[in-house]
Formats: sequence, structure tokens, C-alpha cells
Amino acid sequence: MADERENYSPNLIRMWRAFRTTKEMCRDRGYEMLEEDYQISLSAFAAKCGRQDGEVDRSQMNFSCLPSAEMAKKYTAPPTAKNPDPQPDIGKIWVEFNGDENVGLKQLRDYMAHLVDGQYYSGVMVTMKPMTGMALRLLRGAAGIAEGPKGGVEVFVEQDLLVNITKHELVPTHVLLSKEEKDHLLKRYRLKETQLPRIQVTDPVAKYYGLRRGQVVKIIRHSETAGRYASYRWAI
Amino acid sequence: MPATQKQRDVALHHADIIEQRKRVEKDVLDAIIDLMDFPEARNADPQRPSPADALRFREAVAIFQPSDYDALIEERNIAAKCGYALCPRPKRKAPSAARKHFIDTSKGVEIVDRRVLEVWCCDDCARRALFVKVQLSEEPAWLRQGGFAGDIELMVENAGEHPRTLPLRLKGSSSAPPKPADVEEHDAALAWQARDDALADLAVERGEKPGRLSKANRELVQDKIRERVATKAPEPPSLPTHSSHMAIEGHVPRTSRNEDDDEDDDGQDWDKHLPG
Ligand SMILES: [Zn+2]
Repeated sequence: MADERENYSPNLIRMWRAFRTTKEMCRDRGYEMLEEDYQISLSAFAAKCGRQDGEVDRSQMNFSCLPSAEMAKKYTAPPTAKNPDPQPDIGKIWVEFNGDENVGLKQLRDYMAHLVDGQYYSGVMVTMKPMTGMALRLLRGAAGIAEGPKGGVEVFVEQDLLVNITKHELVPTHVLLSKEEKDHLLKRYRLKETQLPRIQVTDPVAKYYGLRRGQVVKIIRHSETAGRYASYRWAI
Repeated sequence: MPATQKQRDVALHHADIIEQRKRVEKDVLDAIIDLMDFPEARNADPQRPSPADALRFREAVAIFQPSDYDALIEERNIAAKCGYALCPRPKRKAPSAARKHFIDTSKGVEIVDRRVLEVWCCDDCARRALFVKVQLSEEPAWLRQGGFAGDIELMVENAGEHPRTLPLRLKGSSSAPPKPADVEEHDAALAWQARDDALADLAVERGEKPGRLSKANRELVQDKIRERVATKAPEPPSLPTHSSHMAIEGHVPRTSRNEDDDEDDDGQDWDKHLPG
């Protein structure tokens, strides 16, 4: 392995790591993903995305994936009399690695238009550097506007994906609850969601799982004295 | 309870400010998106902008803070355009990708950062763009008390083609000049129009929807101004005909009152209102 790495530029190795984390992130959210896909070797990555000059052709890294049946179920509200056949609030996702040195409103709007044209439910954009303030402002307001895809756009900086934070031993397991499970939990403990402890959707782990406001996650910790215990947080 | 009502009003007032802030931030974003690909005419001349372009630019940036203006320049640069929003040309390209460049200036050779070099298409646009920036208020538009739509001046070579004052948006105005006989009437109409516009602007500036006073605002400001209106010629003060010399600072002690005046205030009166 060490010998193999010497053959590749630091940048290529960097992007390989970011690519793997992004794939793992999609798998952990519940998208369909083959093992060979998120465990791609450095040489296979270099063959797929490397350029003659040793740098990375980011456009070769883009991919899309579909929610697994289990994920679709989790994102489907329980049927009601009014809506007997609810559709899942999730769908095909498009992940794009942007190669521009600076990313602003222009790239973000082009990206949103691409998602709408391609009928993607949501998108993840990975940029080399943080976006401009105005692009972030557009993003904050984009969830409800007609301009973007239904499921919104998430943005990550390459730097944040070099390691998979959820693999760190101190990060407990997070499990998203479906709407039904959430209702059940609140009923059982006679709570209102506002009475639960909170987690910010901007929290790095919340971002990794793509938590949306209003969702509840179960957090499972391992304790030497108490074994495993669970707590719940409401995403805001 | 007055205290809670007051607290409610204060809370409403703050909610109003937050709402207004959101609105201004959205307006700034929309203005930047609009000015990103500006001007539409590929052959537009930044030294001699069309009155329509100049007006659109001036109105759009009036709510900007200098940092918003920098954001506009940044977004235009990312789109490879000259930072000056009235210029359709691409930004200058440094001779090489080196980080620092030697540039001949009037002050001799200077070392300039590549990023600085690539903001404008030429030095002239840099001057015209900065001329606008220094006029922008540091105060966020949602907190500005006066001069919300402060008039922004442009550095242009065709000043004659541009109206000096903030042009009035006339409903159904025709391009034909008014006939001489109508001039006076027209001027008066303009003046009223300007007043209405100013009132509308003022309402917006105060966070009210034009033509409607915000409830929270109205109730927070409790001072009532009553104009003194003279209905007759002033006269020197004189003693009222029925006033008693017993009055103390205008108050007439009970003992000196007339019998019939006394009736309402009778000490025994109170039990009359009790039921049963
Ligand atoms: Zn220019």
C-alpha cells in the first residue's frame, strides 16, 4: 500500500479519500451502493479519475444514486385518511465535485438548474473552497423556492470529507427515526418534540446524515458501566 | 395588563425588525443576481451608460452596505466579468498565473497581487466602481433612519443625458415633453407625485407596508402630538367671571362651591349604585 501511494500525487490521494467518504455518506444515509463502489482502491480511482498530468478530473467523480427500499420507507409518512398513499420524501440524488477555484452564485444556480432538468430529488455539491457568502445566502433560502430541486441542495467542502467523522470512536451511532417511529416515541413518553434535546442541522454529524429540520435521531452510545444506552435528539 | 401588553409590543417590534432584515437580505441577493450579468447590451459603455441602465444600477445598490457591494464584485469576477456592474467587458487577465505581478503605474513599478489585478477590466472601471462604493452606507438598510434610498451618484461622461435628481416613476408617462400651457400643472403633478413617492419610501423605511401603519410601531410610540390651532386672535389672560378668589391653583375647595355642583360628589352617593 505504501509503495502504491508513492506513485500518485498528494492531490489525487486527497480526492480519493474525499470520494470514498462521500460514497460512504450516501450508503450510510440509505442510498443503494455496491461495496466495490465505496471501497474503491486508489489505483482504481486513479484509473477512473486521474489525468495524464497526475491531477484529478473532478467531473469523472460525479455520481448519482437511488434510495434503497428501506430508506424510501423511512422517508415516507404513515398513510392517513386524507393521504392514503403517501410518497417518499426522498429520491434520486446527484453528487457533483466542482473543480472551480471559486464557487459563487453562478455555479450554484447552474447546479440547481441541472438538478431540476435532470429531475433529481436533491443534490450534494462538493467544492474546493467554501462558497461565497451570497451563494450560501441563496442556499439557505433555497429549500422552499421554486428555483431548486424539491429536496434541496447540500454543500460540502473537500477538506471536510478527507476523513469520515462518523468512523471516529467518540462519535456515537446515529439512527434516523421515520415519521411513524417519531410519533410512536413521542406518544410513549408523552412528549412534544420541542421537549426533546436538540441537534443543529449544521452539526457535522447531522450534515453527514443529511438531517432535516423536524426529524428525530436516535443516538446510541456505548458505556462501560451501562452497556448501550440510547438518547434522542430533535433536529432544528 | 399594561406591562405584558408593552412587552408584547416590544416583542412584535423586534420580530418586525427581523422580518425586515430578512427582506432586505433577500432584496440584496436578488439585486446581486440581477446585476451579475449586467448590462444586457454587450456594447454598453461604462463611461456613458444608458439612463435606464444607470437608474437600475443606482436603485439596486441604494440598499447595499459596502460589504454587499464587495459581494457583487466577487460574484461578477467569478463569472469572469469586470467588477463594475455597468461594464459588459470581461475582467482583466493577469499575464501569468503567478501570485504577484509587477505593474507600471504613474507612481512607478508596483507589485500587485494577481487577485487585485483581475478584478476590473481597466483602471477606469476601478475608479468608477469605487466612486459608488464610498457613497454606500455602513448601516444595514433595515436599521437606517433616514436616506433609505439615498441617491447614489455615478461618475459618467454623459451627465446631460441623466436626470440630476432621482428620476420620478411616473405612471403612464409619455416621452413627449408637455405643452407649454401645461407646464405649470405638470410641475405641480410632479411635486405631488414626488411627495407620494417619498411617503411610500418613508413607510418602507420604517418597516411598514406602504399605506399601512404597523400596529406594533404605532402602539410603541405613545406620544401624541396635538397641533395648537389658533381659532381666534390671542388675548391677554383675564379672570374668569365665575371664578372665586378662593381658588387654589385653579381648584375650588368644596366649601366655596355652589350647592347644585355639590350633588354628584356627595359622600353618601356611593351606595345608590349597589345592587339590592
Ligand atoms: Zn470594466
